[in-house]
Amino acid sequence: MPTLEAPDVAMIDYPDGSFGALPDFAADSYKDAYSRINAIVIEGEKEAYDNYMAIGTLIPEEAEQLEKLGKMELKHMKGFTACGKNLGVKADMPFAKKFFAPLHNNFQKALTNGNLTTCLLIQAILIEAFAISAYHVYIRVADPFAKKITEGVVKDEYLHLNYGQQWLKANLAKCKEELMKANKINLPLIRSMLDQVAEDASVLHMDKEELMEEFMIAYQDSLTEIGLENREIARMALAAVV
Amino acid sequence: MFGLIGHSTSFKDARLKAMELGYDHIAEGDLDVWCSAPPQLVEHVEVVSPSGKSIEGAYIDSCFVPEMLGRFKTARRKVLNAMELAQKKGINITALGGFTSIIFENFNLLQHQHVRNTTLQWERFTTGNTHTAWVISRQLEINAPVLGIDLKKAKVAVVGATGDIGSAVCRWLSSRTGVAELLLVARQEKPLLDLQNELGGGRILNLEDALVEADAVVWVASMPRTLQIDSSKLRNPCLMIDGGYPKNLDGKVSGKGVHVLKGGIVEFFRDIGWSMMEIAEMEKPQRQMFACFAEAMILEFEGCHTNFSWGRNNITLEKMEFIGEASVRHGFSTLNLKNLLQAAAA
Repeated sequence: MPTLEAPDVAMIDYPDGSFGALPDFAADSYKDAYSRINAIVIEGEKEAYDNYMAIGTLIPEEAEQLEKLGKMELKHMKGFTACGKNLGVKADMPFAKKFFAPLHNNFQKALTNGNLTTCLLIQAILIEAFAISAYHVYIRVADPFAKKITEGVVKDEYLHLNYGQQWLKANLAKCKEELMKANKINLPLIRSMLDQVAEDASVLHMDKEELMEEFMIAYQDSLTEIGLENREIARMALAAVV
Repeated sequence: MFGLIGHSTSFKDARLKAMELGYDHIAEGDLDVWCSAPPQLVEHVEVVSPSGKSIEGAYIDSCFVPEMLGRFKTARRKVLNAMELAQKKGINITALGGFTSIIFENFNLLQHQHVRNTTLQWERFTTGNTHTAWVISRQLEINAPVLGIDLKKAKVAVVGATGDIGSAVCRWLSSRTGVAELLLVARQEKPLLDLQNELGGGRILNLEDALVEADAVVWVASMPRTLQIDSSKLRNPCLMIDGGYPKNLDGKVSGKGVHVLKGGIVEFFRDIGWSMMEIAEMEKPQRQMFACFAEAMILEFEGCHTNFSWGRNNITLEKMEFIGEASVRHGFSTLNLKNLLQAAAA
């Protein structure tokens, strides 16, 4: 008998609604991909520390708080280093350095020119939103040890995102133009970074599509919090997809 | 505040709408871009009831399109992310419209209560099925007599009888309308037998046989594109209420004496200043909407912030009566055959 109860919807891959099986954490292919993903995370946390310390030089009155934030990143770095060791994986640090180079260079350029808004957008908004979104996706498919570590890290990263948001919100009127410009230059870098790790991420059962969506949600939320209008946000997000 | 979670009826329509709203970056993207697009709160609206009570609402586009149905993970994310957004915006009661409630139900999203750092509070959401079931039942009661169908002598087929809406319609029809005979059509035997037992009546038939006998047919199941209906075998007159989603019955049946009515649609007594119902292809988008959406509005008018319609087969006659009375009181009426007089003359 034909018809009934949304037959099209019945064509699903996981009828029980689960997230699907976890990857084999001991497989060589997993470890190989993990060596690069893990390195990116470790390098990202290390650069985050450096960046917060550097931002402190631009706003000396906040240097102490920024140092506190930075030190949390060092703690995260140690946590993620332990995750790699736990799986018997050696992080591919040269790969990670190269991975971050374009964004790192843009940050350094902005720092040299005293462009605080750009520095904050790169580190406290873009990188934090990227990290938060990737960690959320990773938590769903991580090994039990890494899952626990990552859950703790995510909570901290929201504090960092919040720091950048609050500063940009308070100074929006005078920093909006620079914010838009910095977004246009740096958001495409995030997109290309995502493209570069998509294959390795998929070995870890992290979908590129999901990573991108999570990032856009975190970034959009952040821009809303800063006080930008929906259409302005839409225009800014254009830089990620073209 | 009430909320509506919806989506466009096709990828093509979704792109046009996004372009119109100024979301060019999404509009220009291919389906993969849409799969990565976050939900958007696209519109705020104020609605005033006949008594002068004013409520505020928001429309959230989930960025889901039916073309994503084959992508299970994507579809699931679209619905959960839209729900998370509704909750983050502090919306008290949000209706899951179109495919989103079907996805929620069929993909068992109840087990995904945690979305990132948000724990979804189910009491903030409703499928709107109670109102939909009441509206469909009323549409049958109001429109059948106009076509000369006396429900007390009529056979009414309910296609999708064991679903959440279908079973509620069956309950209402068998206990409130005195329909001569209910013809129960559904895919699985066991739930059909359970329903027949619960109702204390009704005849279980396959679709083909039921269509030949029925004076009125209530469709509350989506139809496969391949389904063909031989209109010449239908009774004359025959009232068909298309209560499924998407509404595609009028393209499948036509002919003398066959009257297709879009089921589960209501009309508000005055224009609402929104633009989003256009994407649902309503004839009067300023007033007409899916009954499930209207349920969120009614619950907000009533200050009834609970997941009024939730889970499967929980719709009681009492709940249908409650939502029905409130629906009328707050200015909603059911969609009826285009021109009742013309229909009567046919």
